[in-house]
Amino acid sequence: MNPIVSCTLLITLGLGTTITFASSHWFLAWMGLEINTLAILPLMAQHHHPRATEATLKYFLTQATAASTLLFATTTNAWLNGQWDIQHMTHPLPITLFTIALALKIGLAPLHIWLPEVLQGLDLVTGLIMSTWQKLAPFALLLQIYPANSTLLIMLGLASTLIGGWGGLNQTQLRKILAYSSIAHLGWMILVLQFSPALTLLTLFLYIIMTFSTFLVFHLNNATNINTLATTWTKTPALTALTPLLLLSLGGLPPLSGFMPKWLILQELTKQDLALTATLAALTALLSLYFYLRLSYALALTMFPNNPSGTSPWRLQSPQIMYPLALSITAALTLLPLTPTVTALMMP
Amino acid sequence: MTPTHFAFSAAFILGLAGLAFHRTHLLSALLCLEGMMLSLFIALSLWTLQLDSTNLSASPMLLLAFSACEASTGLALLVATTRTHGTDRLQSLNLLQC
Repeated sequence: MNPIVSCTLLITLGLGTTITFASSHWFLAWMGLEINTLAILPLMAQHHHPRATEATLKYFLTQATAASTLLFATTTNAWLNGQWDIQHMTHPLPITLFTIALALKIGLAPLHIWLPEVLQGLDLVTGLIMSTWQKLAPFALLLQIYPANSTLLIMLGLASTLIGGWGGLNQTQLRKILAYSSIAHLGWMILVLQFSPALTLLTLFLYIIMTFSTFLVFHLNNATNINTLATTWTKTPALTALTPLLLLSLGGLPPLSGFMPKWLILQELTKQDLALTATLAALTALLSLYFYLRLSYALALTMFPNNPSGTSPWRLQSPQIMYPLALSITAALTLLPLTPTVTALMMP
Repeated sequence: MTPTHFAFSAAFILGLAGLAFHRTHLLSALLCLEGMMLSLFIALSLWTLQLDSTNLSASPMLLLAFSACEASTGLALLVATTRTHGTDRLQSLNLLQC
């Protein structure tokens, strides 16, 4: 693609999300979401591959449906109580419709079918944008609806953590595994949304850091399925030692920073007398942990049958820029000691 | 619920049901999307008319502009899918299942 065109598209992508962040009026928020969708579609379809076109079409259909349902919910709200402000959404019917529309937009569990297929059709950089930047605008809207429908949110969250873990078990394609991991993490965020929005935001930021580094590692190794992971030690030995830790951080094991959001969310749910929900969420996290462990096993503990000359690509200088990956992987592994500071900042 | 409110809600829900359950051709899906947007257009215009509010009087036009952009993107994707898959039937979009 022409650099000027792709630059324009990227700037427009940023502009759409920023409009949604900055808006207090529902119509402007909807326009931001539409600009966002329209700007990423050419980036997705830029390779003219049948898979890319199909993924673009599926993404377009779901996002257009979700955006028009969102506008329908807000119009209903305006007809019912004459308000277009984001903060003034009080009637339960528009709130339920709105929650369902945004669940379709970010891919929460009963409405998640499009997400693995769309992610599978994209290249890793566009997939990175899709699973990090595209989640920000819907969450900016979800965080502003305060009196949310509690049973619906908990059902969505539990179903997402369950299906995110369950669906990833049988996959060998890395992008599909990452899509299911994204569904599971979004479920954790939705679970705690009504009790502590700050905690949702913290989980979203940590998820973005971890997914960013995972996609960059896979992009560096050109890896799209599990088999390819077994040869990464010949290309980047140091990174091969760190990546299993990164995947376990996504799974939420204690000394790594992925443990912090799960810990705080379980604490918050227990405080709200939802011990059963907390137990179920913690148990479904085990399902996710299983496929992260399988990826770590393929990365760290398998030896691919190489001939001697095939073991030396690590001597060559890599042309790719490593600084963003170095920063984000450090943050994704070592942020757990910041937990007291974060909790102090979140408690007003 | 006023009759106007019921009318555009019913139109929107019919469009949504068509999009969700009538999954044969891509063109019919795009038409259903367009119908949903047009029912929202009616809702927005009647809301401004009923409340005599001048603040939001530009919003139906903005909605039409965005839905035109969306429809043209949909048609472009229709052409692209027909060229890569050979048909516009939604059942043939099964490359990404594995």
